[in-house]
Amino acid sequence: MTHFASPRIVAYAGVAAFALLVGLAVGRVELVALAAPFALAAAVGASLGRDPGVSATLALDRDRALEGEEAVVRVELHAPADVDRVDLLLQVSDELQPTGGNPRSVVVPRERTLELTLPCRRWGAFAVGPLLLRAGDRLGFHRWEGRAGAAQPLRVYPSVETLRSLLEPLETQAFIGNQLSRTKGEGIEFADIRGWLPGDRVRSINWRATARRGELHVNQQHPERNTDVVLFLDTFTDIREGTRGTLDLTVRAAASLAHRYLQRKDRVGIVSFGGYASWLLPSSGTRQLYRIVDSLLQMDIVLSFAVKGIEILPPRTLPPKALVLALTPLLDRRSAGALLDLRARGFDLVVIEVSPLPFVASGGDARARLAYRLWQLSREALRLRYVQAGVPVVEWRDGEALDAVLEEVTAFRRYAKPARA
Amino acid sequence: MLVYAGVLAYAISRQVELAPVVAIVGVFGGMLLLFMLWRRAEDVLAWVLLLLGLGYVLTIVVHPHGVDEAAPLVGAGLLLCAELAVWSCNEHARVRPERRVVVARAVAVAVLVVAGLGVSALVVALAAAPVGGGLGWTLLGALAAVGAIGLTLRLAR
Repeated sequence: MTHFASPRIVAYAGVAAFALLVGLAVGRVELVALAAPFALAAAVGASLGRDPGVSATLALDRDRALEGEEAVVRVELHAPADVDRVDLLLQVSDELQPTGGNPRSVVVPRERTLELTLPCRRWGAFAVGPLLLRAGDRLGFHRWEGRAGAAQPLRVYPSVETLRSLLEPLETQAFIGNQLSRTKGEGIEFADIRGWLPGDRVRSINWRATARRGELHVNQQHPERNTDVVLFLDTFTDIREGTRGTLDLTVRAAASLAHRYLQRKDRVGIVSFGGYASWLLPSSGTRQLYRIVDSLLQMDIVLSFAVKGIEILPPRTLPPKALVLALTPLLDRRSAGALLDLRARGFDLVVIEVSPLPFVASGGDARARLAYRLWQLSREALRLRYVQAGVPVVEWRDGEALDAVLEEVTAFRRYAKPARA
Repeated sequence: MLVYAGVLAYAISRQVELAPVVAIVGVFGGMLLLFMLWRRAEDVLAWVLLLLGLGYVLTIVVHPHGVDEAAPLVGAGLLLCAELAVWSCNEHARVRPERRVVVARAVAVAVLVVAGLGVSALVVALAAAPVGGGLGWTLLGALAAVGAIGLTLRLAR
Protein backbone atom coordinates (compact mmCIF):
# COMPACT_ATOMS: atom_id res chain seq x y z
CA MET A 1 0.00 0.00 0.00
CA THR A 2 1.19 3.52 -0.73
CA HIS A 3 1.75 5.76 2.28
CA PHE A 4 0.72 9.42 2.40
CA ALA A 5 1.38 11.70 5.38
CA SER A 6 -0.80 14.69 6.07
CA PRO A 7 1.01 18.01 5.45
CA ARG A 8 -0.35 19.26 8.74
CA ILE A 9 2.25 17.30 10.74
CA VAL A 10 4.91 19.49 9.14
CA ALA A 11 2.68 22.54 9.60
CA TYR A 12 2.21 21.82 13.31
CA ALA A 13 5.92 21.18 13.86
CA GLY A 14 6.78 24.33 11.91
CA VAL A 15 4.31 26.48 13.86
CA ALA A 16 5.64 25.05 17.14
CA ALA A 17 9.27 25.68 16.18
CA PHE A 18 8.51 29.20 14.98
CA ALA A 19 6.58 30.07 18.15
CA LEU A 20 9.33 28.64 20.37
CA LEU A 21 12.03 30.60 18.55
CA VAL A 22 10.08 33.86 18.70
CA GLY A 23 9.22 33.14 22.34
CA LEU A 24 12.88 32.69 23.16
CA ALA A 25 13.81 35.80 21.21
CA VAL A 26 11.27 38.08 22.86
CA GLY A 27 11.22 36.26 26.19
CA ARG A 28 7.46 35.66 26.33
CA VAL A 29 6.04 32.50 27.84
CA GLU A 30 2.72 32.93 25.97
CA LEU A 31 4.47 31.96 22.76
CA VAL A 32 5.77 28.77 24.35
CA ALA A 33 2.23 28.10 25.56
CA LEU A 34 1.02 28.61 21.98
CA ALA A 35 3.68 26.23 20.67
CA ALA A 36 3.02 23.45 23.19
CA PRO A 37 -0.28 22.05 21.75
CA PHE A 38 1.17 22.03 18.24
CA ALA A 39 4.37 20.35 19.36
CA LEU A 40 2.26 17.71 21.09
CA ALA A 41 0.07 17.21 18.01
CA ALA A 42 3.15 16.94 15.75
CA ALA A 43 4.67 14.35 18.07
CA VAL A 44 1.42 12.38 18.15
CA GLY A 45 1.16 12.59 14.35
CA ALA A 46 4.74 11.39 13.88
CA SER A 47 4.19 8.46 16.23
CA LEU A 48 1.09 7.17 14.41
CA GLY A 49 2.84 6.30 11.14
CA ARG A 50 2.45 2.49 11.24
CA ASP A 51 1.09 0.57 8.26
CA PRO A 52 -2.22 -0.95 9.38
CA GLY A 53 -1.75 -3.80 6.87
CA VAL A 54 -5.37 -3.95 5.74
CA SER A 55 -6.16 -6.58 3.12
CA ALA A 56 -9.45 -7.47 1.47
CA THR A 57 -11.05 -10.14 -0.66
CA LEU A 58 -14.05 -9.78 -2.97
CA ALA A 59 -16.62 -12.44 -3.74
CA LEU A 60 -19.62 -11.99 -6.01
CA ASP A 61 -22.57 -14.26 -5.26
CA ARG A 62 -23.41 -14.75 -8.94
CA ASP A 63 -22.03 -14.03 -12.38
CA ARG A 64 -25.37 -13.66 -14.17
CA ALA A 65 -28.47 -11.71 -13.25
CA LEU A 66 -31.60 -10.39 -14.85
CA GLU A 67 -32.39 -6.72 -15.11
CA GLY A 68 -34.08 -5.66 -11.87
CA GLU A 69 -32.46 -8.36 -9.76
CA GLU A 70 -29.77 -7.77 -7.14
CA ALA A 71 -26.26 -9.16 -6.85
CA VAL A 72 -24.37 -9.20 -3.58
CA VAL A 73 -20.64 -8.57 -3.21
CA ARG A 74 -19.06 -9.95 -0.08
CA VAL A 75 -16.08 -7.89 1.06
CA GLU A 76 -13.88 -9.51 3.70
CA LEU A 77 -11.49 -7.11 5.41
CA HIS A 78 -8.55 -8.27 7.50
CA ALA A 79 -6.06 -6.31 9.56
CA PRO A 80 -3.49 -7.37 12.19
CA ALA A 81 -4.89 -4.76 14.60
CA ASP A 82 -7.98 -2.57 14.84
CA VAL A 83 -8.08 0.11 12.15
CA ASP A 84 -9.98 3.26 13.02
CA ARG A 85 -10.96 4.21 9.52
CA VAL A 86 -10.99 2.40 6.20
CA ASP A 87 -12.51 4.08 3.13
CA LEU A 88 -13.78 1.61 0.54
CA LEU A 89 -14.56 2.35 -3.08
CA LEU A 90 -15.85 -0.53 -5.16
CA GLN A 91 -14.99 0.15 -8.78
CA VAL A 92 -18.18 -0.59 -10.60
CA SER A 93 -20.23 0.86 -13.42
CA ASP A 94 -22.84 3.55 -12.70
CA GLU A 95 -25.61 1.06 -13.49
CA LEU A 96 -24.49 -1.16 -10.61
CA GLN A 97 -23.74 1.39 -7.88
CA PRO A 98 -24.31 -0.34 -4.53
CA THR A 99 -27.14 0.69 -2.26
CA GLY A 100 -26.01 2.38 0.93
CA GLY A 101 -23.34 4.45 -0.74
CA ASN A 102 -20.09 3.99 -2.57
CA PRO A 103 -17.51 4.95 -1.31
CA ARG A 104 -18.06 4.41 2.40
CA SER A 105 -15.96 4.64 5.56
CA VAL A 106 -15.91 1.81 8.07
CA VAL A 107 -14.10 0.73 11.19
CA VAL A 108 -12.25 -2.58 10.82
CA PRO A 109 -11.83 -4.47 14.08
CA ARG A 110 -9.22 -7.01 12.82
CA GLU A 111 -11.78 -8.85 10.69
CA ARG A 112 -14.94 -7.57 9.19
CA THR A 113 -17.30 -8.73 6.46
CA LEU A 114 -19.43 -6.32 4.48
CA GLU A 115 -22.16 -7.25 2.05
CA LEU A 116 -22.74 -4.69 -0.68
CA THR A 117 -25.96 -5.02 -2.64
CA LEU A 118 -25.71 -4.15 -6.31
CA PRO A 119 -29.08 -3.47 -7.93
CA CYS A 120 -28.86 -4.47 -11.61
CA ARG A 121 -30.48 -1.39 -13.07
CA ARG A 122 -29.51 -1.98 -16.69
CA TRP A 123 -28.51 -4.87 -18.92
CA GLY A 124 -24.89 -5.22 -19.94
CA ALA A 125 -21.62 -6.99 -19.30
CA PHE A 126 -19.92 -5.42 -16.31
CA ALA A 127 -16.80 -5.84 -14.21
CA VAL A 128 -17.22 -5.65 -10.43
CA GLY A 129 -14.03 -4.61 -8.67
CA PRO A 130 -11.29 -4.17 -7.78
CA LEU A 131 -11.76 -2.54 -4.41
CA LEU A 132 -9.87 0.67 -3.67
CA LEU A 133 -8.85 0.90 -0.03
CA ARG A 134 -7.71 3.84 2.03
CA ALA A 135 -6.80 3.10 5.62
CA GLY A 136 -5.95 5.84 8.04
CA ASP A 137 -5.35 6.58 11.69
CA ARG A 138 -8.03 8.11 13.85
CA LEU A 139 -6.84 11.68 13.43
CA GLY A 140 -6.09 11.42 9.73
CA PHE A 141 -2.36 12.12 10.06
CA HIS A 142 -1.42 9.18 7.83
CA ARG A 143 -3.18 7.19 5.17
CA TRP A 144 -2.32 4.12 3.17
CA GLU A 145 -3.90 3.56 -0.21
CA GLY A 146 -4.07 0.43 -2.30
CA ARG A 147 -6.34 -1.89 -4.22
CA ALA A 148 -7.55 -5.35 -3.38
CA GLY A 149 -9.49 -8.12 -5.06
CA ALA A 150 -9.67 -8.89 -8.75
CA ALA A 151 -12.39 -7.60 -11.06
CA GLN A 152 -15.19 -10.14 -11.42
CA PRO A 153 -17.52 -10.34 -14.40
CA LEU A 154 -21.24 -9.86 -14.00
CA ARG A 155 -23.61 -10.25 -16.92
CA VAL A 156 -26.97 -8.59 -16.55
CA TYR A 157 -29.45 -9.92 -19.05
CA PRO A 158 -32.29 -7.75 -20.32
CA SER A 159 -35.72 -8.57 -18.95
CA VAL A 160 -37.93 -10.34 -21.47
CA GLU A 161 -41.49 -9.29 -22.29
CA THR A 162 -44.19 -11.91 -22.50
CA LEU A 163 -45.40 -12.13 -26.09
CA ARG A 164 -48.64 -13.98 -26.74
CA SER A 165 -48.49 -13.77 -30.51
CA LEU A 166 -45.75 -13.33 -33.04
CA LEU A 167 -45.59 -11.91 -36.52
CA GLU A 168 -46.14 -14.49 -39.20
CA PRO A 169 -43.74 -14.26 -42.13
CA LEU A 170 -45.05 -14.07 -45.67
CA GLU A 171 -43.00 -17.09 -46.67
CA THR A 172 -41.60 -20.04 -44.79
CA GLN A 173 -38.40 -22.00 -45.23
CA ALA A 174 -37.92 -25.62 -46.25
CA PHE A 175 -37.24 -27.08 -42.80
CA ILE A 176 -39.74 -28.52 -40.36
CA GLY A 177 -41.00 -26.10 -37.76
CA ASN A 178 -44.10 -24.86 -36.00
CA GLN A 179 -45.16 -22.27 -38.55
CA LEU A 180 -48.04 -23.20 -40.83
CA SER A 181 -46.89 -22.66 -44.41
CA ARG A 182 -49.14 -20.97 -46.94
CA THR A 183 -48.12 -23.56 -49.51
CA LYS A 184 -49.82 -26.95 -49.80
CA GLY A 185 -48.08 -30.22 -49.13
CA GLU A 186 -47.69 -32.85 -46.41
CA GLY A 187 -48.82 -31.67 -43.04
CA ILE A 188 -51.56 -31.81 -40.44
CA GLU A 189 -53.63 -28.71 -41.07
CA PHE A 190 -56.28 -29.22 -43.76
CA ALA A 191 -55.87 -26.91 -46.77
CA ASP A 192 -57.96 -28.02 -49.77
CA ILE A 193 -59.38 -30.89 -51.87
CA ARG A 194 -58.23 -31.66 -55.39
CA GLY A 195 -58.60 -34.41 -57.93
CA TRP A 196 -56.49 -37.53 -57.56
CA LEU A 197 -53.23 -37.63 -59.51
CA PRO A 198 -50.94 -40.58 -60.07
CA GLY A 199 -48.54 -40.87 -57.14
CA ASP A 200 -50.98 -39.60 -54.51
CA ARG A 201 -51.14 -41.75 -51.39
CA VAL A 202 -54.23 -43.83 -50.73
CA ARG A 203 -54.43 -42.53 -47.18
CA SER A 204 -54.88 -38.97 -48.49
CA ILE A 205 -58.03 -39.86 -50.45
CA ASN A 206 -61.08 -37.99 -49.19
CA TRP A 207 -63.65 -40.78 -49.45
CA ARG A 208 -66.64 -38.60 -48.72
CA ALA A 209 -65.80 -36.14 -51.55
CA THR A 210 -64.94 -39.06 -53.83
CA ALA A 211 -68.35 -40.71 -53.18
CA ARG A 212 -70.16 -37.43 -53.78
CA ARG A 213 -68.40 -36.53 -57.05
CA GLY A 214 -67.91 -39.99 -58.44
CA GLU A 215 -64.16 -39.69 -58.96
CA LEU A 216 -61.15 -39.83 -56.66
CA HIS A 217 -60.34 -36.70 -54.63
CA VAL A 218 -57.52 -36.23 -52.20
CA ASN A 219 -56.99 -33.91 -49.22
CA GLN A 220 -54.23 -31.36 -49.22
CA GLN A 221 -52.57 -29.97 -46.09
CA HIS A 222 -50.48 -27.00 -45.11
CA PRO A 223 -47.03 -28.23 -44.14
CA GLU A 224 -45.44 -27.04 -40.85
CA ARG A 225 -42.28 -25.24 -41.66
CA ASN A 226 -39.83 -23.04 -39.90
CA THR A 227 -39.04 -19.43 -40.67
CA ASP A 228 -35.91 -17.36 -40.75
CA VAL A 229 -36.15 -14.21 -38.68
CA VAL A 230 -33.49 -11.53 -38.79
CA LEU A 231 -33.55 -8.92 -36.03
CA PHE A 232 -32.11 -5.79 -37.55
CA LEU A 233 -31.02 -3.41 -34.77
CA ASP A 234 -30.24 0.19 -35.56
CA THR A 235 -27.37 1.11 -33.25
CA PHE A 236 -26.30 4.36 -34.85
CA THR A 237 -27.88 6.53 -32.17
CA ASP A 238 -29.33 6.26 -28.70
CA ILE A 239 -31.58 8.85 -27.13
CA ARG A 240 -31.42 8.59 -23.36
CA GLU A 241 -33.07 10.17 -20.37
CA GLY A 242 -31.75 8.98 -17.05
CA THR A 243 -31.44 5.23 -16.99
CA ARG A 244 -33.77 4.64 -19.95
CA GLY A 245 -33.17 5.09 -23.64
CA THR A 246 -34.02 3.83 -27.10
CA LEU A 247 -31.12 1.35 -27.10
CA ASP A 248 -32.44 -0.25 -23.91
CA LEU A 249 -35.87 -0.68 -25.48
CA THR A 250 -34.30 -2.06 -28.65
CA VAL A 251 -32.26 -4.64 -26.76
CA ARG A 252 -35.22 -5.63 -24.61
CA ALA A 253 -37.46 -6.10 -27.64
CA ALA A 254 -34.77 -8.05 -29.50
CA ALA A 255 -34.26 -10.39 -26.54
CA SER A 256 -38.01 -10.96 -26.21
CA LEU A 257 -38.50 -11.63 -29.92
CA ALA A 258 -35.47 -13.91 -30.20
CA HIS A 259 -36.62 -15.88 -27.17
CA ARG A 260 -40.12 -16.45 -28.57
CA TYR A 261 -39.10 -17.21 -32.16
CA LEU A 262 -36.47 -19.69 -31.00
CA GLN A 263 -39.07 -21.34 -28.78
CA ARG A 264 -41.07 -21.88 -31.97
CA LYS A 265 -38.10 -23.69 -33.57
CA ASP A 266 -37.46 -20.86 -36.01
CA ARG A 267 -34.00 -19.77 -37.01
CA VAL A 268 -33.09 -16.34 -35.65
CA GLY A 269 -30.21 -14.14 -36.69
CA ILE A 270 -29.22 -10.71 -35.56
CA VAL A 271 -27.69 -7.74 -37.31
CA SER A 272 -26.45 -4.77 -35.37
CA PHE A 273 -26.23 -1.97 -37.91
CA GLY A 274 -24.45 1.06 -36.54
CA GLY A 275 -21.08 2.69 -36.17
CA TYR A 276 -19.79 -0.79 -35.49
CA ALA A 277 -21.62 -3.45 -37.52
CA SER A 278 -21.89 -6.96 -36.11
CA TRP A 279 -24.03 -9.96 -36.95
CA LEU A 280 -24.96 -13.50 -36.02
CA LEU A 281 -25.99 -15.94 -38.73
CA PRO A 282 -29.51 -17.34 -38.34
CA SER A 283 -29.64 -20.53 -36.38
CA SER A 284 -32.00 -22.26 -33.99
CA GLY A 285 -31.85 -23.79 -30.55
CA THR A 286 -30.99 -22.78 -27.02
CA ARG A 287 -27.35 -22.22 -27.87
CA GLN A 288 -28.37 -19.59 -30.41
CA LEU A 289 -30.45 -17.86 -27.74
CA TYR A 290 -27.38 -17.62 -25.50
CA ARG A 291 -25.32 -16.34 -28.42
CA ILE A 292 -27.90 -13.69 -29.21
CA VAL A 293 -28.26 -12.55 -25.62
CA ASP A 294 -24.49 -12.40 -25.20
CA SER A 295 -24.15 -10.35 -28.37
CA LEU A 296 -26.94 -8.06 -27.17
CA LEU A 297 -24.96 -7.38 -24.00
CA GLN A 298 -22.11 -6.05 -26.12
CA MET A 299 -24.38 -3.61 -27.98
CA ASP A 300 -23.21 -0.09 -27.72
CA ILE A 301 -23.36 3.12 -29.65
CA VAL A 302 -20.17 3.79 -31.60
CA LEU A 303 -19.99 7.18 -33.22
CA SER A 304 -19.16 6.91 -36.89
CA PHE A 305 -19.52 9.13 -39.91
CA ALA A 306 -18.80 6.34 -42.41
CA VAL A 307 -21.45 5.90 -45.07
CA LYS A 308 -22.73 2.36 -44.71
CA GLY A 309 -25.24 0.28 -46.62
CA ILE A 310 -26.40 -3.30 -46.37
CA GLU A 311 -23.72 -4.34 -48.85
CA ILE A 312 -21.29 -4.46 -45.90
CA LEU A 313 -23.25 -7.41 -44.46
CA PRO A 314 -22.35 -10.94 -45.56
CA PRO A 315 -25.13 -12.39 -47.77
CA ARG A 316 -25.72 -15.31 -45.38
CA THR A 317 -26.85 -12.95 -42.62
CA LEU A 318 -29.94 -12.13 -44.68
CA PRO A 319 -31.23 -15.42 -46.11
CA PRO A 320 -33.90 -15.31 -48.83
CA LYS A 321 -37.54 -15.28 -47.66
CA ALA A 322 -36.42 -14.17 -44.19
CA LEU A 323 -38.67 -12.00 -42.08
CA VAL A 324 -36.62 -8.92 -41.21
CA LEU A 325 -37.77 -7.19 -38.03
CA ALA A 326 -36.09 -3.82 -37.84
CA LEU A 327 -35.91 -2.09 -34.45
CA THR A 328 -34.95 1.47 -35.08
CA PRO A 329 -35.51 4.95 -33.62
CA LEU A 330 -35.55 6.28 -37.22
CA LEU A 331 -32.94 8.87 -36.42
CA ASP A 332 -30.10 8.03 -38.76
CA ARG A 333 -30.36 8.36 -42.51
CA ARG A 334 -27.97 5.47 -43.08
CA SER A 335 -30.16 2.93 -41.32
CA ALA A 336 -33.31 4.40 -42.90
CA GLY A 337 -31.70 4.03 -46.36
CA ALA A 338 -30.49 0.50 -45.62
CA LEU A 339 -34.01 -0.56 -44.64
CA LEU A 340 -35.50 0.82 -47.85
CA ASP A 341 -32.74 -0.99 -49.71
CA LEU A 342 -33.70 -4.24 -47.99
CA ARG A 343 -37.31 -3.75 -49.01
CA ALA A 344 -36.26 -3.04 -52.59
CA ARG A 345 -34.42 -6.37 -52.57
CA GLY A 346 -37.68 -8.13 -51.77
CA PHE A 347 -37.22 -8.89 -48.08
CA ASP A 348 -40.29 -9.23 -45.91
CA LEU A 349 -39.57 -6.18 -43.79
CA VAL A 350 -41.34 -4.86 -40.69
CA VAL A 351 -40.17 -1.66 -39.04
CA ILE A 352 -40.77 -1.32 -35.31
CA GLU A 353 -40.01 2.29 -34.54
CA VAL A 354 -38.56 2.58 -31.05
CA SER A 355 -39.90 6.04 -30.42
CA PRO A 356 -37.39 8.60 -29.12
CA LEU A 357 -40.20 11.08 -28.38
CA PRO A 358 -40.61 10.16 -24.68
CA PHE A 359 -36.93 10.98 -24.19
CA VAL A 360 -36.92 14.30 -26.08
CA ALA A 361 -38.68 17.31 -24.63
CA SER A 362 -39.69 20.26 -26.75
CA GLY A 363 -37.81 23.47 -26.00
CA GLY A 364 -39.42 26.37 -24.17
CA ASP A 365 -39.29 29.14 -26.75
CA ALA A 366 -41.20 29.41 -30.01
CA ARG A 367 -38.18 28.63 -32.19
CA ALA A 368 -37.45 25.41 -30.29
CA ARG A 369 -41.09 24.36 -30.49
CA LEU A 370 -41.05 25.00 -34.23
CA ALA A 371 -37.88 22.91 -34.61
CA TYR A 372 -39.53 20.12 -32.63
CA ARG A 373 -42.57 20.17 -34.89
CA LEU A 374 -40.40 20.16 -38.01
CA TRP A 375 -38.48 17.21 -36.66
CA GLN A 376 -41.71 15.33 -36.02
CA LEU A 377 -42.92 16.15 -39.54
CA SER A 378 -39.70 14.86 -41.08
CA ARG A 379 -40.14 11.62 -39.12
CA GLU A 380 -43.72 11.40 -40.38
CA ALA A 381 -42.46 11.84 -43.97
CA LEU A 382 -39.94 9.02 -43.49
CA ARG A 383 -42.66 6.75 -42.14
CA LEU A 384 -44.77 7.54 -45.20
CA ARG A 385 -41.91 6.46 -47.46
CA TYR A 386 -41.86 3.06 -45.80
CA VAL A 387 -45.62 2.68 -46.03
CA GLN A 388 -45.50 3.56 -49.72
CA ALA A 389 -42.96 0.77 -50.17
CA GLY A 390 -45.38 -1.64 -48.49
CA VAL A 391 -43.47 -1.80 -45.23
CA PRO A 392 -45.51 -1.75 -42.04
CA VAL A 393 -44.17 0.85 -39.61
CA VAL A 394 -45.40 0.79 -36.04
CA GLU A 395 -44.40 3.08 -33.23
CA TRP A 396 -43.38 1.55 -29.92
CA ARG A 397 -43.10 3.85 -26.93
CA ASP A 398 -41.52 3.24 -23.57
CA GLY A 399 -44.10 1.67 -21.27
CA GLU A 400 -46.26 0.18 -24.03
CA ALA A 401 -46.62 -3.56 -24.46
CA LEU A 402 -44.71 -4.98 -27.42
CA ASP A 403 -47.60 -7.37 -27.99
CA ALA A 404 -49.91 -4.50 -28.95
CA VAL A 405 -47.36 -3.23 -31.45
CA LEU A 406 -47.04 -6.63 -33.10
CA GLU A 407 -50.81 -6.85 -33.28
CA GLU A 408 -50.81 -3.55 -35.15
CA VAL A 409 -48.44 -5.01 -37.75
CA THR A 410 -50.67 -8.04 -38.18
CA ALA A 411 -53.63 -5.73 -38.76
CA PHE A 412 -51.64 -3.75 -41.32
CA ARG A 413 -50.75 -6.93 -43.15
CA ARG A 414 -54.39 -7.96 -43.38
CA TYR A 415 -55.06 -4.99 -45.64
CA ALA A 416 -51.74 -4.30 -47.30
CA LYS A 417 -49.41 -6.77 -48.94
CA PRO A 418 -45.97 -5.95 -50.27
CA ALA A 419 -46.05 -5.62 -54.04
CA ARG A 420 -43.96 -8.02 -56.05
CA ALA A 421 -41.52 -6.43 -58.41
CA MET B 1 -14.79 29.17 11.36
CA LEU B 2 -16.53 29.83 14.68
CA VAL B 3 -13.44 28.78 16.65
CA TYR B 4 -11.27 30.95 14.38
CA ALA B 5 -13.60 33.90 14.90
CA GLY B 6 -13.54 33.32 18.66
CA VAL B 7 -9.74 33.34 18.85
CA LEU B 8 -9.58 36.40 16.57
CA ALA B 9 -12.17 38.23 18.67
CA TYR B 10 -10.14 37.55 21.80
CA ALA B 11 -6.94 38.80 20.14
CA ILE B 12 -8.70 42.00 18.98
CA SER B 13 -10.22 42.63 22.40
CA ARG B 14 -6.82 42.42 24.16
CA GLN B 15 -5.42 45.66 22.71
CA VAL B 16 -7.97 48.18 21.44
CA GLU B 17 -5.31 50.42 19.84
CA LEU B 18 -3.98 47.46 17.85
CA ALA B 19 -7.44 46.20 16.92
CA PRO B 20 -7.39 47.41 13.26
CA VAL B 21 -4.03 45.75 12.54
CA VAL B 22 -4.99 42.50 14.27
CA ALA B 23 -8.37 42.54 12.51
CA ILE B 24 -6.77 42.99 9.08
CA VAL B 25 -4.29 40.16 9.70
CA GLY B 26 -7.06 37.99 11.11
CA VAL B 27 -9.46 38.66 8.24
CA PHE B 28 -6.74 37.80 5.76
CA GLY B 29 -6.12 34.55 7.65
CA GLY B 30 -9.88 33.90 7.66
CA MET B 31 -9.98 34.32 3.89
CA LEU B 32 -7.13 31.83 3.62
CA LEU B 33 -9.08 29.44 5.84
CA LEU B 34 -12.12 29.79 3.57
CA PHE B 35 -9.91 29.14 0.57
CA MET B 36 -8.51 26.08 2.29
CA LEU B 37 -11.97 24.70 3.02
CA TRP B 38 -13.20 25.49 -0.49
CA ARG B 39 -10.24 23.95 -2.35
CA ARG B 40 -9.49 21.28 0.27
CA ALA B 41 -5.95 22.67 0.30
CA GLU B 42 -4.48 21.32 3.49
CA ASP B 43 -1.11 22.89 2.60
CA VAL B 44 -2.48 26.36 3.37
CA LEU B 45 -3.13 25.43 7.01
CA ALA B 46 0.30 26.56 8.25
CA TRP B 47 -0.29 30.08 6.88
CA VAL B 48 -3.72 30.28 8.47
CA LEU B 49 -2.25 29.37 11.86
CA LEU B 50 0.70 31.71 11.46
CA LEU B 51 -1.51 34.67 10.51
CA LEU B 52 -3.94 34.16 13.39
CA GLY B 53 -1.03 33.48 15.74
CA LEU B 54 0.69 36.64 14.48
CA GLY B 55 -2.36 38.73 15.33
CA TYR B 56 -2.30 37.39 18.89
CA VAL B 57 1.49 37.71 19.25
CA LEU B 58 1.33 41.36 18.19
CA THR B 59 -0.94 42.12 21.15
CA ILE B 60 1.51 40.41 23.50
CA VAL B 61 4.75 41.84 22.18
CA VAL B 62 3.78 45.46 21.43
CA HIS B 63 2.20 46.34 24.79
CA PRO B 64 3.13 43.66 27.33
CA HIS B 65 0.97 43.58 30.49
CA GLY B 66 2.36 40.59 32.32
CA VAL B 67 1.65 36.94 31.42
CA ASP B 68 -1.61 36.34 29.53
CA GLU B 69 -3.20 33.50 31.43
CA ALA B 70 -5.53 32.76 28.53
CA ALA B 71 -2.60 31.81 26.24
CA PRO B 72 -3.22 28.04 26.73
CA LEU B 73 -6.83 28.55 25.63
CA VAL B 74 -5.64 30.46 22.56
CA GLY B 75 -3.18 27.67 21.71
CA ALA B 76 -5.81 24.99 22.20
CA GLY B 77 -8.31 27.07 20.20
CA LEU B 78 -5.87 27.35 17.32
CA LEU B 79 -5.28 23.60 17.39
CA LEU B 80 -9.02 22.89 17.51
CA CYS B 81 -9.57 25.26 14.59
CA ALA B 82 -6.84 23.49 12.59
CA GLU B 83 -8.13 20.00 13.39
CA LEU B 84 -11.73 20.85 12.51
CA ALA B 85 -10.64 22.53 9.27
CA VAL B 86 -8.58 19.49 8.25
CA TRP B 87 -11.47 17.19 9.17
CA SER B 88 -13.71 19.23 6.90
CA CYS B 89 -11.16 18.91 4.09
CA ASN B 90 -10.88 15.15 4.56
CA GLU B 91 -14.61 14.46 4.39
CA HIS B 92 -16.34 14.25 1.04
CA ALA B 93 -20.07 14.46 0.53
CA ARG B 94 -20.04 11.20 -1.44
CA VAL B 95 -18.28 9.19 1.28
CA ARG B 96 -20.70 7.92 3.87
CA PRO B 97 -18.83 7.33 7.11
CA GLU B 98 -20.15 5.00 9.76
CA ARG B 99 -21.26 6.61 12.99
CA ARG B 100 -18.40 4.90 14.83
CA VAL B 101 -15.84 6.51 12.50
CA VAL B 102 -17.22 9.99 13.17
CA VAL B 103 -17.45 9.44 16.93
CA ALA B 104 -13.91 8.02 17.08
CA ARG B 105 -12.46 11.05 15.29
CA ALA B 106 -14.47 13.51 17.38
CA VAL B 107 -13.22 11.86 20.56
CA ALA B 108 -9.63 11.80 19.26
CA VAL B 109 -9.75 15.50 18.37
CA ALA B 110 -11.23 16.35 21.75
CA VAL B 111 -8.56 14.33 23.59
CA LEU B 112 -5.78 15.93 21.53
CA VAL B 113 -7.06 19.45 22.16
CA VAL B 114 -7.57 18.83 25.88
CA ALA B 115 -4.09 17.29 26.16
CA GLY B 116 -2.67 20.30 24.29
CA LEU B 117 -4.51 22.61 26.64
CA GLY B 118 -3.07 20.70 29.60
CA VAL B 119 0.49 20.87 28.31
CA SER B 120 0.10 24.53 27.50
CA ALA B 121 -1.36 25.28 30.93
CA LEU B 122 1.51 23.40 32.50
CA VAL B 123 3.97 25.61 30.62
CA VAL B 124 2.26 28.77 31.89
CA ALA B 125 2.07 27.36 35.41
CA LEU B 126 5.77 26.48 35.37
CA ALA B 127 6.59 29.99 34.14
CA ALA B 128 4.60 31.46 37.01
CA ALA B 129 6.17 29.11 39.57
CA PRO B 130 9.00 30.61 41.68
CA VAL B 131 11.65 28.22 40.46
CA GLY B 132 13.92 30.99 39.33
CA GLY B 133 15.05 31.88 35.86
CA GLY B 134 18.44 31.76 34.39
CA LEU B 135 20.55 29.98 31.88
CA GLY B 136 19.09 26.53 32.55
CA TRP B 137 15.57 27.47 31.47
CA THR B 138 16.87 29.39 28.49
CA LEU B 139 18.89 26.35 27.43
CA LEU B 140 15.85 24.10 27.90
CA GLY B 141 13.81 26.44 25.70
CA ALA B 142 16.53 26.56 23.09
CA LEU B 143 16.78 22.76 23.11
CA ALA B 144 13.00 22.48 22.68
CA ALA B 145 13.14 24.90 19.76
CA VAL B 146 16.01 23.02 18.15
CA GLY B 147 14.13 19.72 18.68
CA ALA B 148 10.98 21.13 17.10
CA ILE B 149 12.94 22.47 14.13
CA GLY B 150 14.74 19.14 13.76
CA LEU B 151 11.41 17.29 13.84
CA THR B 152 10.01 19.69 11.23
CA LEU B 153 12.96 19.17 8.92
CA ARG B 154 12.80 15.38 9.34
CA LEU B 155 9.09 15.27 8.59
CA ALA B 156 9.43 17.65 5.67
CA ARG B 157 12.02 15.43 3.99
